Amino acid sequence: MKADSPKHIGARIQRFEDVRLLSGAARYIDDIRLPGMLHCTFARAHTAHGTILEIDTSGLADLDYPTWVFTGKDTAGLSMKAHQDYPEMQYSEQPLLAEGKVRFVGEAVAAVLAEDAYKSEDAAEQLFIDCDPLPVVGTMAQARDASLPPLFDGWHSNVIVQRQMKGGDLEAAKAAAAHIIKRTYRNQRQAGVPMEGRGVVAHYNNADRVLTVWSSTQMPHLVRTYISEELDLPESRIRVVAPDVGGGFGVKGQVFGDEVLIAWLAMKTGRPVKWIEDRREHLIASIHARDHEHTLEAYVSADGRLLGLKADISVDNGAYSTYPFTSAGEPGMVGKVLPGPYDFQAYEATFRALATNKCSIGTYRGVARPSAVFSQERLMDDIAAELGLDPFEFRLKNIIREFPYKNVLGFTYDPGSYAESLELMQTLLADDVAAAKASHASDTTRVGVGIACFIEQTAHGTPDFTRRRTPIETGYIAARVEMAPDGTVTIDLGLQNHGQGLETTMAQVAADALGVLPSSVYVRHGDTLTTPYSVGTWGSRGGALGGGAVHVASLKIAEKLKAIAAHLMQTTPDEIELADGQAYMRSAEDRFIPISKLARAALRNVDQLPPGMLPGLEAEQRQDGPRDGTYANAVHAAVVEIDVPTGKMQLKRFVVVEDCGTILNPLVVDGQVRGGVVQGIGSAMFEHFVYDEECQPLTTSFADYLMPLAPEIPNIEVHHFETPTPLTPLGAKGLGEGGAIGPAAAIGNAVANALGVEVRETPLNANAIWHLSAHLRPAE
Amino acid sequence: MRPASFGYHKATDLAHALALLAEFGDDGRPLAGGQSLVPMMNLRLARPAHLVDINALPLTAIERRGDVLHVGALVRHHRYLSDPLIAAHFPAFLEAVHWIGHPTIRNHGSIGGSISHADPTAELPAICLLYDATIIASSTGGDRRIAARDFFLGAYVTALQPGEMVTAVEFPIPPAKSTGAFIELGERRGDFAIASVGVALQWSGRQITGAAVVCCGARLVPIRASEVENLLIGRQLDAPDAAAIGRRFANTIEPVSDHSGSSAYRKHLIGELTRRTIERACQQALETA
Repeated sequence: MKADSPKHIGARIQRFEDVRLLSGAARYIDDIRLPGMLHCTFARAHTAHGTILEIDTSGLADLDYPTWVFTGKDTAGLSMKAHQDYPEMQYSEQPLLAEGKVRFVGEAVAAVLAEDAYKSEDAAEQLFIDCDPLPVVGTMAQARDASLPPLFDGWHSNVIVQRQMKGGDLEAAKAAAAHIIKRTYRNQRQAGVPMEGRGVVAHYNNADRVLTVWSSTQMPHLVRTYISEELDLPESRIRVVAPDVGGGFGVKGQVFGDEVLIAWLAMKTGRPVKWIEDRREHLIASIHARDHEHTLEAYVSADGRLLGLKADISVDNGAYSTYPFTSAGEPGMVGKVLPGPYDFQAYEATFRALATNKCSIGTYRGVARPSAVFSQERLMDDIAAELGLDPFEFRLKNIIREFPYKNVLGFTYDPGSYAESLELMQTLLADDVAAAKASHASDTTRVGVGIACFIEQTAHGTPDFTRRRTPIETGYIAARVEMAPDGTVTIDLGLQNHGQGLETTMAQVAADALGVLPSSVYVRHGDTLTTPYSVGTWGSRGGALGGGAVHVASLKIAEKLKAIAAHLMQTTPDEIELADGQAYMRSAEDRFIPISKLARAALRNVDQLPPGMLPGLEAEQRQDGPRDGTYANAVHAAVVEIDVPTGKMQLKRFVVVEDCGTILNPLVVDGQVRGGVVQGIGSAMFEHFVYDEECQPLTTSFADYLMPLAPEIPNIEVHHFETPTPLTPLGAKGLGEGGAIGPAAAIGNAVANALGVEVRETPLNANAIWHLSAHLRPAE
Repeated sequence: MRPASFGYHKATDLAHALALLAEFGDDGRPLAGGQSLVPMMNLRLARPAHLVDINALPLTAIERRGDVLHVGALVRHHRYLSDPLIAAHFPAFLEAVHWIGHPTIRNHGSIGGSISHADPTAELPAICLLYDATIIASSTGGDRRIAARDFFLGAYVTALQPGEMVTAVEFPIPPAKSTGAFIELGERRGDFAIASVGVALQWSGRQITGAAVVCCGARLVPIRASEVENLLIGRQLDAPDAAAIGRRFANTIEPVSDHSGSSAYRKHLIGELTRRTIERACQQALETA
């Protein structure tokens, strides 16, 4: 009877949270309204680089309503400090409100408060910020130009940090190489753009001296810790709440100065204070992403074996270091992941972050890996073309097949399905490859097929963070599971759910361990008052580590339930099985006790407990990630059709073969993959944050900053391999970011295949495609 | 992203609207569908002190009046899609409407609003220019009839004077059989165009007797390709020589360069779209010959 009970892990259960989200019942940051609340509007820098001469606030006096204004003089010394403990790294802080200088257009210079948001916005317009312009550092080349002054006093140059990582004997690899292939690849600057922007509300309760901060964040506990440190408040008296969060994608996976500032303003004014970011602010002043340049040099043997790789990696970091992943995080990640799924044992990467007068780079879905994989996989195709090899054949010749595999940097890869995924994709694409080949006789309509094969280190554990020396020291996720006297279950989860389906998948995990229905499990998250300390939801760790924590904690409760059941049925705990809301006796299946009755015994009729057992049904577990994380793998493929005379490209097909280990819920997995792919298509074809030579932003609304929209997206086919990892409790690997990592590379390769050219950069918009296809047009 | 403070006035009839606009002068703007004006106000790029809501006015007719098609200023874009007069006489107009934004924009946006806003890449200003429309601008001082070629002066700049509003647009009904096409290229469906071209041809049997070509994306206003229109007249439907005409037109323009497209790309694109629209208009003639 129990053996054939459906298991909830792996079931296609529709998301519980969707009822709330789709019926308009969700409560987002802007829905929070408190009595006496003041609204904050930031006056922001119009100059990319300049010395603040004066902030003239006299215009506020003419207004017929009360206003409050604060500048960097009021918040002097309060700042975001995001330093990585590398001796080479130049230290800087971002003041909560600009002090002395502004360093990018959009930097917050003053906070203006009024009793409604229209008034504060009108009032902020009255401020006049007088700036004496300084020379602008606008490009990576300018940032490396020693003749331009550094952005910060005391710096020796605008190279924030430059480091190396290496493994094996690169000189020997070079000497043995029959082919040396060197290429430079670039990815454009992007914004992150969740559907809901950011926002903060803060309230200080003078009676019990508790500061409450609501923020649209992925990491409420880290916000709490930072506010505590910066404002010198006891962390026990700070509560941070992330309400429903309308998408984060990593943008909300950092602590921002405004989160500290709004809290400070609430304490300063004695009134609740609210700030809701508008789209323009989001685009120019939250965080940016990508903006990489990689020069790669591959050493390849005569028979097409990769022998070694040399990489030079630059990231245009913008002005400031973001917390907690810092300026070194983005370029360092490229250096770390470039070895990818291929077997070679000689490598050297030099990576650097460059300071410019632009919005700061932060984490955005994929974090450096979309750029790294673009370069890695474009290079693989460029090498294959030079050697006259088929792209699949060349990859299969070099793909890692035996696990665990220790890579050139010493990272150990757990088992995956690298070769199998490539082989399946090869089969799936056979007809498209033939059609592409046939189209190459045409100068007007070209079809191209491109693939991207990659791995993703996910669910990194504490040792990985220790190696990085960032302000974030650990990667564990905590869950506290509690059963109520009626047998229903509450999970207080250290993760914050902003679209991952965690309110459903975590319930599935607990349900299997406890023998109850997922619908009887209530998952709470995002409130530091109720949830155990954790680092938040980012880095593809929710399913793997959060799921692991819930599983282990639930098993602890299950053990106790079995002990109670065994006592009541006069048998031993190993004779008891929990399923379908009942505790069954294995040897006599007609004998069972409802789990609710066991719960009642544990919490109310405690006289029924076994001798010596304490009342209560709760357990907590902190699940850390493995030393090197667990490696998910995937192959993405794009089929494109290009109208050569106009440069218009259509995505005809997008296929994903992925392996994230144990699948908790296939609907959620497919949704995560597809959402990520759409964002990756945005990176490949549409999204481009553009600055002019003076570092004035040009793409400040959705009219100019082009997001991928439904008509441009084909059906995204998703195929799975399921190789459970031995490194997490459920065998699950991280999944959240993978979808976004492959598309730029797959589409880049498809364009290269279609046009018979090398593709060196994104975005591949109509203008770019037209310029790439010059050789197919008759000379004019 | 909230508009600066403004006054709102709901006009009850045309006389009321014109009186309000006369009173407010430069500080007043009519509000129809608000699809361009309201976002501009939210970004504070437009800050009229007074909005005169004209949505209750009866400027909603699409009807034949003698030799012209009269289109009231408040006709919403979606209506052209099912209007037999548009389909019969102005096929390029019908095609252009498919390229206007998204369904919400087509349901709210009005012709008066679109041409008064005069976005350089908008479809309806180009269509007015293509079909030699006359714009009726009304004020308390009476009506002015302005030819489309004199109406669009620059990006977001028109010949409208303070106190005036568009009340109707008149399209002369082509005397002969008319075919036409409109093709636009943008990054995404519904985007502002990188470039677009419209063609209207008139026929006597298999021969072109009248031709108009319009394009967006070359300059900050839509332009007519008068140099090549004459070359089309007299050609046969199976030999329009569209590619050469497209190239010739492209050679007369020097488009702007920006992050969405280089000048060279736009120039080539306009030539290519000209070829395609001519060929399509000829194909229509062939199918109905």
